[in-house]
Amino acid sequence: MRLLGFALDEAARSVWRRRGASLMAVLAAGASLFVLGLLLLAATATAGLLARWTEAAEISVFLRDDVTAEARAAIEQALDRSDLVAQRAYVSSDEALRRFASQFPDLAASAALETNPLPASYDVRLRPERARDPAVDDLVASLRTLAGVSDVQYDRHWIDRLLTAVATIRTAGAMLAIVLVLAACLTITAVVRLALHARLAEIEIMQLVGAPLAYIRGPFVLEGTLLGLGGAVLALLALWAGFLAARGHLAAWADSLAAGGAAVGFLPLWAILTLAAGGAVIGCLGGLLGARAAR
Amino acid sequence: MYTRGVSALRDLTLHIGKGEFVFLTGPSGAGKTTLLRLLLRQEVPSSGHLVVGGRSLSKMSASQVQAYRRTVGFVFQDFKLIPSKTVFENITFVPRVLGQDIAAQRRKAFQVLKWVGLQHRLNAFPEELSGGEQQRVAVARALINDPALVLADEPTGNLDPDLALEIMNLFRDINARGTTVLVATHDRELIRRVGKRTISLEQGRLAEVS
Repeated sequence: MRLLGFALDEAARSVWRRRGASLMAVLAAGASLFVLGLLLLAATATAGLLARWTEAAEISVFLRDDVTAEARAAIEQALDRSDLVAQRAYVSSDEALRRFASQFPDLAASAALETNPLPASYDVRLRPERARDPAVDDLVASLRTLAGVSDVQYDRHWIDRLLTAVATIRTAGAMLAIVLVLAACLTITAVVRLALHARLAEIEIMQLVGAPLAYIRGPFVLEGTLLGLGGAVLALLALWAGFLAARGHLAAWADSLAAGGAAVGFLPLWAILTLAAGGAVIGCLGGLLGARAAR
Repeated sequence: MYTRGVSALRDLTLHIGKGEFVFLTGPSGAGKTTLLRLLLRQEVPSSGHLVVGGRSLSKMSASQVQAYRRTVGFVFQDFKLIPSKTVFENITFVPRVLGQDIAAQRRKAFQVLKWVGLQHRLNAFPEELSGGEQQRVAVARALINDPALVLADEPTGNLDPDLALEIMNLFRDINARGTTVLVATHDRELIRRVGKRTISLEQGRLAEVS
């Protein structure tokens, strides 16, 4: 406790004495953690949307106009046998037209159709946990071979492409965040080293009186930790302010994408704590690197 | 030994008894400061042995060096006070960095400040003090840990003769309490006035013991 009290006292004084350089270090740490936080925010928001889209992934089995009752029974049997299928619903040709008219009223009115061109179909909802299972491809292939089936559409492929794009963006963002985190760590190291050079006389006295290494290096490590933590708090405040400002737009965007409204929330508690701890760890590392010269 | 292969000290054998007051003298470059640095374990001899209180200084681990230094007080010509700290903070800095009890730190600091006659200047910063006062603060700092050995390197080098004698009287008082005192100085007049055993060095060798 005495060591902690001593280190905290000395670190706080040092931060205040070199407040200009300290502010620079806090800003550098804050910028890198802000980017990291932005990535987390985007990741949590897109994770919700992607989950909804993945859950909503459907197979549409379009039927031929001349499909027989036996063929329909065989198709239904094939769907019911599959453990990938959560639910199936028959959509008659008339129902399909009604849906089309309600979704595209202008188009339906202008088309003035004499006959209904839309085929009957089965809407097949997959089990969410199996929606990306490779076995779905086999199911689609087997459905295509059944009598009475004119076409089978499955929208997994664009979701796969979307997931790949999101993963690529996340990886690029993570790499950028790593570079920024390293830069922040080095900035803190430089600031701590400045503090160390300004206190060489104190360090010499500590060495001469036989002070333990923890007392010599502790204040510098804690100074780095405080700077990193300050950066994390700054980043979280900036993220919160940005989130409040953009919340309306985000909600509208998410609503249009998720068709039914996806909740747009701030970072979950674990992410907030991770960012705060990350800031402290970056600062602590910077402090340790900076304090290495004090022996 | 210096990097050029020149020995700072050689053929030197001497013994200083417990509780003794000894002057170390000689011209500049005689090896006085090197001997003190060896005794503070800032340097390690390239050959030979230094034994203090029965412990060989050459064979100490880092933690043993720390423990040894806690038993030694030091005073330098340039005082080595921390400019940003007050007199009181400069003195309590030593027990603070040794993790000692705060109440004991304060009690001891008042005690040593009173002893060196600076109890009225405890909130002053070093730059507000005269050279003699700054050196008295340095002496107080050296004493706060009740050292068994006090090493002083030209402690009166920046002081006028009267202040120099005042500081020497402090060292005499420290010695009277049983602490071994080793003072390096080239001030022969001061040595004559204090009148203690004197070890003279010349070019790193023992020249005279009087």
